[in-house]
Amino acid sequence: MTVVIGFEGSANKIGIGIVRDGEVLSNPRRTYITPPGQGFLPSETAKHHRSVILTVLQEALDEAGLKPADVDCVAYTKGPGMGAPLVIVALVARTVAQLWEKPLVGVNHCIGHIEMGRLVTGARNPTVLYVSGGNTQVIAYSERRYRIFGETIDIAVGNCLDRFARVIKISNDPSPGYNIEQMAKKGKQYVELPYTVKGMDVSFSGILSYIEETVFSMLVEITERAMAHCGSQEVLIVGGVGCNLRLQEMMGVMCEERGAQLFATDERFCIDNGAMIAQAGWEMFRVGQTTELADSWITQRYRTDEVDVAWRD
Amino acid sequence: MASRNSSSDAQLEFVLEVPFPSQREASIALQALSPDQEPRRRGITKTLGASACTLSAKWTADEARILRVSVGSFLDHLALVIETMDVFGQPVLQ
Repeated sequence: MTVVIGFEGSANKIGIGIVRDGEVLSNPRRTYITPPGQGFLPSETAKHHRSVILTVLQEALDEAGLKPADVDCVAYTKGPGMGAPLVIVALVARTVAQLWEKPLVGVNHCIGHIEMGRLVTGARNPTVLYVSGGNTQVIAYSERRYRIFGETIDIAVGNCLDRFARVIKISNDPSPGYNIEQMAKKGKQYVELPYTVKGMDVSFSGILSYIEETVFSMLVEITERAMAHCGSQEVLIVGGVGCNLRLQEMMGVMCEERGAQLFATDERFCIDNGAMIAQAGWEMFRVGQTTELADSWITQRYRTDEVDVAWRD
Repeated sequence: MASRNSSSDAQLEFVLEVPFPSQREASIALQALSPDQEPRRRGITKTLGASACTLSAKWTADEARILRVSVGSFLDHLALVIETMDVFGQPVLQ
């Protein structure tokens, strides 16, 4: 039995989760929500995480019914993300790893999403659409790397949605994207806006006032292109924007047309959480990929394809 | 205490010594606090070390404002590490 605790706090969510051999034992999370019209800044976000992290850690242990001695490995988000909050989380992870005398594993945040998506859905080797406030990538696994087939050439799709919500002062509770989705359901008029796909890549900065249809269509197109390129029959959507049911619906139509299968998770795991870091950490730990303390620095930039995916063949 | 040394580049220096109840705790704090790089690389250096039960931190900086931000940030991070040891260190640190 291998029990891994995972710490995540690279954006405005702080989550700590515990995974035991594919079972999520606990996954508490808190979100730093700003007033309508305001985004979240690094130092305030770091303050928020700092104020709740030890409480959330205790909750994670209590809900799992475990003591520190029961944990085999401490996983944390090495990057990518916002520097100040990443440091807060890494400090606590490094401290408890030493207190409890357990190995440390620095996890790539994007790979956390992918590994949790694979675990929860059972998708074996999908083309992955990773869409969140901070990231937009189309990814396929090949020869020990998660290859980035396409990505945004400027801002993440979730960033585009969040900025739009800010302009028209939609509430950030529970998230701006969720509130856009609810309002969009009642929309009756489609407005044609710039549609920007360049091969496998997309651009969102030119269309900050938009409706979901255009943006999600762009994402479906690049996902389909990657699937055709890889001969893939599975699609997995991960990242906070993946919660959006309209995106799932549109992707589902494309998959059905191709005879492919669509996989998606619910808000527990789409949205940043600690258990996904624990799950990726579990994979890494079992193939011996631990992180020495001196190498455990956090980094704001960390490409998905920099990681040696030694746990897959 | 911050002081200017007499060299021609007029740098500020600041030294902090933090006592811990044991060598192990000073070492844990050092290893938790040292891996991350300063967010601002130019105009400031920070060196951490531990000896017996004491964690030491030494800064050199070009401007008081930069020094203040770095020292303040370090103290916040140090406080978090200490609180984590207080809450989760038992019975290991008895």
